[in-house]
Amino acid sequence: MKADRSMISSFIKPIMESLIAVAIGVLIGAIVLKFSGYSPIKAYVALVKGAVGSAYGWSMTLSAATPIILTALTFAISARTGIFNIGAEGTVYFGAIAAIVFTNMFANPIWGLIGGIMAGILWALPAALLKVYRGVHEVISTIMLNWIAFFTALYLVLGPLANPNDPNKTLEVPASARLPLLMRGSELSLAFIIAIAAAIITYYILWHTVLGFELRASGYNERAARYGGINPKKAIIWSFLIGGIMSGIAGATEVMGRPPSYAISQGMANIYGYGFDGIGVSLVGRNHPIGIIFSGIFFGALKAGATYMQIDAGVPLEMVKVVQGIIVVAVAVPGLWDLVKKVVRR
Amino acid sequence: MEEVPIIEMKGIVKIYPDGTKALKGVDFSVKKGEIHGLLGENGAGKTTLMKILSGMLPPTEGKIYVNGREVRFKSPADALANGIGMVHQHFTLVEVFDALHNIILGMEGHGLFSKIDVDKARAKLQKLMDELNFQVPLEVPVETLPVGVQQRIEILKVLYRNVDVLILDEPTAVLTPIEVKELFDVLRKLKEQGKTIIFISHKLREVMEITDRVTVLRKGEVIGTVNTNEATPQLLARMMVGRDVVLRIQKPPKEPGEPILRVENLWVKGDRGEDAVKGLSFEVRAGEIFGIAGVEGNGQTELIEAITGLRKIEKGRVILNGKDITGRPPKELYNLGVAHIPEDRTHMGLILDMTVAENSILGLHWNAKFTGALNSIKWNTVKAYAQELIEKFEIVAPGVDAPVKSLSGGNQQKLIVAREVSKNPELIVASQPTRGVDVASTEYIRNYLVKLRNENKAVLLVSADLDEVLQLSDRMAIMYEGQFVGIVKPEEVTEEQIGLMMGGIKDES
Repeated sequence: MKADRSMISSFIKPIMESLIAVAIGVLIGAIVLKFSGYSPIKAYVALVKGAVGSAYGWSMTLSAATPIILTALTFAISARTGIFNIGAEGTVYFGAIAAIVFTNMFANPIWGLIGGIMAGILWALPAALLKVYRGVHEVISTIMLNWIAFFTALYLVLGPLANPNDPNKTLEVPASARLPLLMRGSELSLAFIIAIAAAIITYYILWHTVLGFELRASGYNERAARYGGINPKKAIIWSFLIGGIMSGIAGATEVMGRPPSYAISQGMANIYGYGFDGIGVSLVGRNHPIGIIFSGIFFGALKAGATYMQIDAGVPLEMVKVVQGIIVVAVAVPGLWDLVKKVVRR
Repeated sequence: MEEVPIIEMKGIVKIYPDGTKALKGVDFSVKKGEIHGLLGENGAGKTTLMKILSGMLPPTEGKIYVNGREVRFKSPADALANGIGMVHQHFTLVEVFDALHNIILGMEGHGLFSKIDVDKARAKLQKLMDELNFQVPLEVPVETLPVGVQQRIEILKVLYRNVDVLILDEPTAVLTPIEVKELFDVLRKLKEQGKTIIFISHKLREVMEITDRVTVLRKGEVIGTVNTNEATPQLLARMMVGRDVVLRIQKPPKEPGEPILRVENLWVKGDRGEDAVKGLSFEVRAGEIFGIAGVEGNGQTELIEAITGLRKIEKGRVILNGKDITGRPPKELYNLGVAHIPEDRTHMGLILDMTVAENSILGLHWNAKFTGALNSIKWNTVKAYAQELIEKFEIVAPGVDAPVKSLSGGNQQKLIVAREVSKNPELIVASQPTRGVDVASTEYIRNYLVKLRNENKAVLLVSADLDEVLQLSDRMAIMYEGQFVGIVKPEEVTEEQIGLMMGGIKDES
C-alpha cells in the first residue's frame, strides 16, 4: 500500500542519509590521515576498540554522550519550532554553576538539578523575550548571550566560587549531592539515565501533547499555525524554556555526575563546547529526540576513542580533532541543508 | 496549397522530474496573423506547452517548427531570436524602473562599461508605439501605474524584441472588465499589424470574444481545434471538462433568519500600511449565503483576516450573535462557532509537512474530544476522526498518516472544507473555496456550502470567481478599493452591471 511505503521511507530516509554521511566522513578522515603519514586502519581500529571494545570504553562513550544529548535536545526542540537556538553553550555554564551553588547550600542532588533547571529557564528567557517582543534574531542574541555567560561564569569560577583548597577548580559538589555511578571506577553516572529520560520526555512533548503539536505547527508554518488558533509567540517562548531546561540539566549533571572533579575546572575546560557539539549531534539525529540518543552516543564514542587513537596509533590529538571535525561536517550537511532551505524559504 | 503554419508543434511530450506527465503527445499549430486561443482547466498543460514554445522548458519528446523549419530552443533567448515571446501571468517588471528602462533591460549592451543609449532606445520604442497605435507612459516608475498599463509594458517589452508570435498567459486574470476590454483592443490592433497571438485562458467568454481559432487541452492532450465562429460556449465547456457541466446549483428559496455576523464601520490596514478596508458595514444572517465579489486585491483578504482574528482592526466592530468579537484571537472565535476556509490553502489552511490526521485537527486540537491526561493528544481518536472525514467527504488520500502535501490540490481543499464544516459552526467564512480545484470537487464544495445554508448556518463567501458568487449567494456585495460599490441580489442584476461595479462604477439607472 502506498501509505505504508511512504511512511516507511519517511522513517528510513533520514536514517540512511545520516549513515551515509558518517561513512563519507570516516572515508575522508581516512584520506586525510593517510596523506598525513598515519595508518588510517590502525587509527580507526584504535578508536573503535577504545570507544566500544570494552565495558570501560562503553562507560567512557556513554558518559561523554550524556551532556551532548541534552544540549542537542535544546537545539532540536527549537529547530522543530522554527528557531535556530544556539544558546545551549552559555546555558550549560550557568547550569553547572547553579548546581554547585545549590548543592553547596542544600547538599542534595535534587536541589542541584533544580538549580540547573532554574538556571536554564532564566538564561533562556532573554533570547526568547527579545525574539518575541523585539524581533531580535535568535542567532544574534544567543551568540551574544553565550559570550556574556562565558565571562560571567569565568569570573564566578575564578572569584566567588574558587576552591580554597585547590587552585585548579571551583568548590566541589558535596559527596551527598553527587549522582550515583552506574559502574564502579568509571565516569558513567545516573546522569546518562537522566539524559535518556530527557530525550524520551522531549519526544513525548513534541509528538504526543497539544503543546508539541503547537510547537511543530509553528515551526513548519507560522501563518498556518496562527490560522489554527495557535499563538506562535507562546510556542517560541515554550521551546526556548524547555530547551533551556535541557542545557541547564546538562551543566548540572556534568558537575554532579562526572568524576573525578565534581567541580568546574579553572579554565572551564570541562564544561566548554558541549553546547556547540549539541548542534552537530542534533543535526545528525535529524532533530529527533530518539535519533539524538543514537547520534549522541556516536559522538561520545568519537570523543572517548580519540584518546586511544593517540595512544595506540600515535595520531596526535590535533589530528584526531581534524578527523572528528570532518565526520561532524559530513554528517551535519544533510540536516543543515534542510534547515538552510527552510530558513531561505521563509 | 495550404499555407505553412507559423508555429507547428508535433508530438510534444513533457514529463516533469517528479514523474508528472504534463503533456502526452500534443500537436498544435498556429496560422500566421491569427489570435489563437488555448483553452483548458487548471493543470491541463496550457502553460507547460507555451513554456516549451517560448524556450523556458525543454520538451521530453517532440518537434517544433517555425515557418516550416525545425527549431530547438535552449533558452527564451533562442525563442526570441526566432520571433517568439511570452508575457507571463506574473509580471517581470522592475517596479522602481520606468517603462523605458524595463523594456530595454537586458538589451542595453553587453560590455561592463558600455553606455546605454537611452535616446536611441526611446526613439525606437516611440516608433514602435506609433506603429502599433498604443501608448504607455515611458518616464514613470511602473509601480505607480495601473495593472492594465503594466501589462501593456510587458507586451511592449516582448514586441521591442521584434517578436512575431506573442504568447499571453492568462492575461485577463488580474484585470477589471474595463481593462480587459482595453487589452482586447490592443490585441486586435496587433493582429492588424500582422502579429500572431496565442491567448491562454480558461474563461470561455473571453476566448469566444477575441480568438479566431481555439485549441482545447484536457489533461495533457489536445481535444480539438475549432474555428471560434463555429463554436459555442457550451461546446467549448464540454471539450474542456469532458462532460456537460452542471452550470446551476440546486438552491431552494429560503427565508433568512436572525443576523449572525454584524460588521460595523470596519477599517483595516493592508500589509503596506494603506487603508485596505474603508468603513465597511454589513450583516450575514442565519440561512443565508452572503457573497463578496470583486477583482482581487480590493481589500477582500484584509476584510476576511480581520473578521477571523488574523489581522488588526483599526476601527469599527465585529459582532457575532450579539457578542462583540472585535480583535479577539482565532482560538476564541473558533470556540464561539466561527469556521474559516482560508484563501491560501497551502500557506494558511494546511501545514503541508504534517499528516492528514494532524491537519484534520488544526484549529480544534485543544478540543476535549482529542485530548487526554497531561494535555496529551489521543492519536487513535484523531486518526479515526480523520478517517471519518476522508470517507464522509470522499477525500482521496493515501491514508491518515500520509503527509498532506501528497494530496492533490482539490483533495487538500476538500480536507479543509471537511475540517471546517465539521466544527459545526454558526458562521462559515469561505474565501476562494474552489480556487485551483478540479471540477468535481468544485461542485461538491459549492453544493456543501448551499447545504450549510439550508441548515440555517450563516455563510460569508468571498470569491474572485464571479460565476461562483452569482450562483451561490442570496445577497452579494461588490467590493472595490476597500468599499462595497453595492449590495444586490444576484437575480436582480445583469452581469454587465456587476462587471461595471467591479470596475468601481455604480450603475445608477
